[in-house]
Amino acid sequence: MNPGAATTVFPALSALLILPLAGALVALALSRDAASCRRLALGVSLAELALILALPLLNGPGPLHLAEDFAWISAMGARYHLGLDGLSYVLVLLTAVLQVLAVLVSWREVERSVGFYFFCLLASQASANGIFLARDLFLFALFWEFQLVPMFLLIGVFGHEEKRAAAAKFLIFSLAGGLAMLLAIAGLGLAQAGSTGLPNFSLAALLAQPVSPGLQLWLFTGFLLAVAVKVPILPLHTWLPDAHTQAPTAGSLILAGVLLKTGAYALIRLALPLFPAAAQAALPVLMFVGLLGLFYASWIALAQTDAKRLVAYSSIGHMSLVVLGAAAGSPLSLTGSMFQMLGHALSTGGLFLMVGMLSERAGSRELADFGGLWRTMPVFGAFFLFFCLAAAGLPGLCNFPGEFMIIVGTFKDHPAAGAAAFAGLVLTLVYVLRLAAAVIFGRPGKKARHPDMTFREVLILSGLTALILLLGLHPQPVLDLLTPAVTELLGAREGLP
Amino acid sequence: MTAPVLTLLCPLAGAAVLALAGRHLPRRVAEVVAVAVVLAGFVAACAAWAGFDGQSRILHLASWFSVGHLAPSFSLKLDALSLLMALMVSGVSALIHFYSVAYMRRDQGFVRYFCYLNLFVFSMQTIVMADDLVFLFLGWEGVGFCSFALIGFWSEDAANVAAGRKAFILTRIGDVAYLVALALIVTSLASTSLTELNARAGLLAPDMVTLLGLLFLFAACGKSAQLPLLVWLPDAMAAPTPVSALIHAATMVTAGVYLLMRLAPMISLSPAAMLAIAAIGALTAFFAACAALAQHDVKRVLAWSTVSQVGYMFLGLGAGDLTGSFFHLLVHAFFKSLLFLGAGCMITAMHDDHDIFRMGARLRRHAPGVFAAMVMGACALGGVPPAGGFFSKGRILFAAFTAPGLAERLLWVLATAAALLTVLYAFRLVFVAFFGQPAGQGGPEALAPVPKLMLAMLWPLALLALAGGALNLPGEAPWSGWLGHVLAGVPGVAALPEDNEALVSALDALISLAGLLLAWRLWGPKNLMDWRRPAALAPRVHAFFLSGWKLDALYLAAVARPYQALALWLWRDVDGRGLDGLALGAANLAGNASRSLRRLATGRVTATLVMFALGLALILLIFSVRAA
Repeated sequence: MNPGAATTVFPALSALLILPLAGALVALALSRDAASCRRLALGVSLAELALILALPLLNGPGPLHLAEDFAWISAMGARYHLGLDGLSYVLVLLTAVLQVLAVLVSWREVERSVGFYFFCLLASQASANGIFLARDLFLFALFWEFQLVPMFLLIGVFGHEEKRAAAAKFLIFSLAGGLAMLLAIAGLGLAQAGSTGLPNFSLAALLAQPVSPGLQLWLFTGFLLAVAVKVPILPLHTWLPDAHTQAPTAGSLILAGVLLKTGAYALIRLALPLFPAAAQAALPVLMFVGLLGLFYASWIALAQTDAKRLVAYSSIGHMSLVVLGAAAGSPLSLTGSMFQMLGHALSTGGLFLMVGMLSERAGSRELADFGGLWRTMPVFGAFFLFFCLAAAGLPGLCNFPGEFMIIVGTFKDHPAAGAAAFAGLVLTLVYVLRLAAAVIFGRPGKKARHPDMTFREVLILSGLTALILLLGLHPQPVLDLLTPAVTELLGAREGLP
Repeated sequence: MTAPVLTLLCPLAGAAVLALAGRHLPRRVAEVVAVAVVLAGFVAACAAWAGFDGQSRILHLASWFSVGHLAPSFSLKLDALSLLMALMVSGVSALIHFYSVAYMRRDQGFVRYFCYLNLFVFSMQTIVMADDLVFLFLGWEGVGFCSFALIGFWSEDAANVAAGRKAFILTRIGDVAYLVALALIVTSLASTSLTELNARAGLLAPDMVTLLGLLFLFAACGKSAQLPLLVWLPDAMAAPTPVSALIHAATMVTAGVYLLMRLAPMISLSPAAMLAIAAIGALTAFFAACAALAQHDVKRVLAWSTVSQVGYMFLGLGAGDLTGSFFHLLVHAFFKSLLFLGAGCMITAMHDDHDIFRMGARLRRHAPGVFAAMVMGACALGGVPPAGGFFSKGRILFAAFTAPGLAERLLWVLATAAALLTVLYAFRLVFVAFFGQPAGQGGPEALAPVPKLMLAMLWPLALLALAGGALNLPGEAPWSGWLGHVLAGVPGVAALPEDNEALVSALDALISLAGLLLAWRLWGPKNLMDWRRPAALAPRVHAFFLSGWKLDALYLAAVARPYQALALWLWRDVDGRGLDGLALGAANLAGNASRSLRRLATGRVTATLVMFALGLALILLIFSVRAA
């Protein structure tokens, strides 16, 4: 398929899927022994991370490109085709980092059904990796649908007081979107059936030969529905605040850091390049909803009384910027969008973690119950302020390069949209400062007196802090990974093979 | 070339040490670290200045990131302007760090305080020395954050935190203009270097230059608290007083005008942008001087005074006189930090009471040194010859006077009127606070002693404030015009014509002396009028100016409150009742539709997948049944 792709003796890409999946099954089998479940999950997550860090060693000279391609369901034309380029690598790496943090943060939070819990967590990693690696649309759809199960269970079983309603809402929205995409994939595969009469699901082949513009519009709409639910794009975002609020801490981390990213990834990797004509027509709309989402979500975030809900709305705002950058379609803005996915995962993930740590202690997420944590929990206060600043996009921290590239890249061809997006950053600062003021400043509220951070928590947060600074001050290694992917994807969007 | 880098990095290292280990250090060690790094930065700045050969240089430290044409880097521009500014910033910072050790001696949050203060010095030096506009923005936001954190330093009081938020948000509004300008520059010049921008500005369309000038002006208005974004500075006085001296008087508030100075070669190509700068400056100078005249809180008098004096710097720059503007920036840094540090001593003596009407003659007898320092500061602020302010402000007024055009002449009239108000409020402060008889006005019974270290820091600043004029004396003598000679190589610096200079200076001197006499008559100890009379004559006018022309109330009513109210409405009605309900309905519809469409899809496995999804729905159903 890809002549440049390195073929390896060791099926490293499959290992990325199998390792967490096997870990998940073992965790289920071990479920009587909570302590060994935890250790197992941590070990598997660390091994996965190490494996991913070692992956570039398998690559020859030139841009990162690994692939595994086997015949699978020949009657369907579906192949087991995994591929890894810079974009996939960055997202798989992000998933692995967040996975380690998710396991660590669940160490004490989850007390019952520990084995089942880690089964869900590890299974969600396997499915996310599948989404980021699949180069066959059929395989992709399989992982896309599969991903819903562990997240649904994480929210519905391990969530907070209104978990069932939130999980149901998450599932209904996702299924509706997913079914639309499934139909579109089936339609696309059939429309591109070759002389053999078998449907064609190979991403490379489909990219090389777009379907007719009339059909594109329908198929693109199907993809867009699934993406819009998952990213989420206005007005299909309303499941997200509920899901985030009710999810356990690690669930929120994975939801914001990984699941939303699969949506943006599908937009960038599939929806826009597969249907260039339809995408071209839809770009103004996408840019508009991206901008609207930034303002709308940031504005609403200000009014929230529940800390987690506030962070959830901020998540929508940040992801809207990713949509804007992807839609604007300049190399700079697209690179920025990809980078912003990482920045958002770290800064928002950090805030979710900290709100989780707080609610674990206080049994409350209400802003009114807190305040004054500078006095009562100084280490907590310092980290919290840091993540707030990262979320506000201060230069030197992880969100700045992405946001700056997105907006400058948008500005070139759409100055009004770019200027508006810059103005949107003020709204971000407004709610971020409200969050900081309500949680850590002021007089200590009635639920503000708790023990400060434990060693384990400091370890988690220090890791995130280091990554936030690294991405903010030295983003070049990541950008170097992304640049070839950007060139290739934009080439496809302009109709070049 | 390492000296400028050390100027930059020493304070950063201090902030890092304090942030990571400060909690575990003994108090004295933490204080020594904080002061030593800033002192080291000052020594390095002196070395950098001593080793400066008059040749402008760009020092490329590292590249930040690079995507296509966007390639910001950590690079410094070292010329007379940046090195002198760095020298002033590090010198004043060092004095204020020493002063802070005494001022914060009883505060438990000293590690956090010094960490922010060190970080501030790093960020400010970044603004001063950066050549790359994105790198400069890092410092620009960094000072904004430190200002926010230090205004709300005593964070248990929600009002302090609110003041910090207000400052951060208002300056961020200005930053939108900075970023838009930056985006314009990247798209039109494919570079983010200040030097490149200035060198190639001539290639840009004139309208583009004007637009860039106005955008940077708006950004500068946020940081430098000029109209229309000035309302944050008076509230910023919630910060500990040394912070007010350093951030909200000597350094950060002048960052805006400093940025415009750096961009002067480009902006001076656009007469419209130059006029806008001058007009904002003169209007703000007058606006804020009126407000200063009505304040009771010693720090708020000084805050409004800062707004007004920075307005003079804008006016000077807009009138085309970079030298004069920078001259006033330096002299103002000296006398305003002197006044603030003096105010800190007054407040300490008064047990944290800020009201000048409760101070009075006993404060003069209690702390004669502070009184002397405040008189010197007031002389410099009011432009009483031969104090520094007389020369620096005089130079700006002269530049406005000589600038061509009727508009500039009108601005000169406005600024001259503001000069009279300046000397009035400066000596109103001194006379009321040190000669008043506040019998029955409340206030503490016995005054508190002022630490010697705090007093000691006043004298170097007092000397600089009084003798600051020597930096750039008028006339033909060999020692005249030193600053002008030094800055001669800096792009954007132009010489002034010299006719009528004596006449304008004489007018300035006359105004300041007349103002001094008038202040003595209105608020002096042997005055014929009651000290409250000027305010009592027109209480509504007084209240109007006390509130800062009601601008703050206007913003609150027109922007801040509606924004909050709409946020609630958007959430509850639009997002909750509207979209959520609609989307749920639509999702159900889509679910039904796809169920019927399923029959159309061929392929067994596709159907299986759909079944898989429906199976999930079944699980969900079981859940909801069990929940019910």
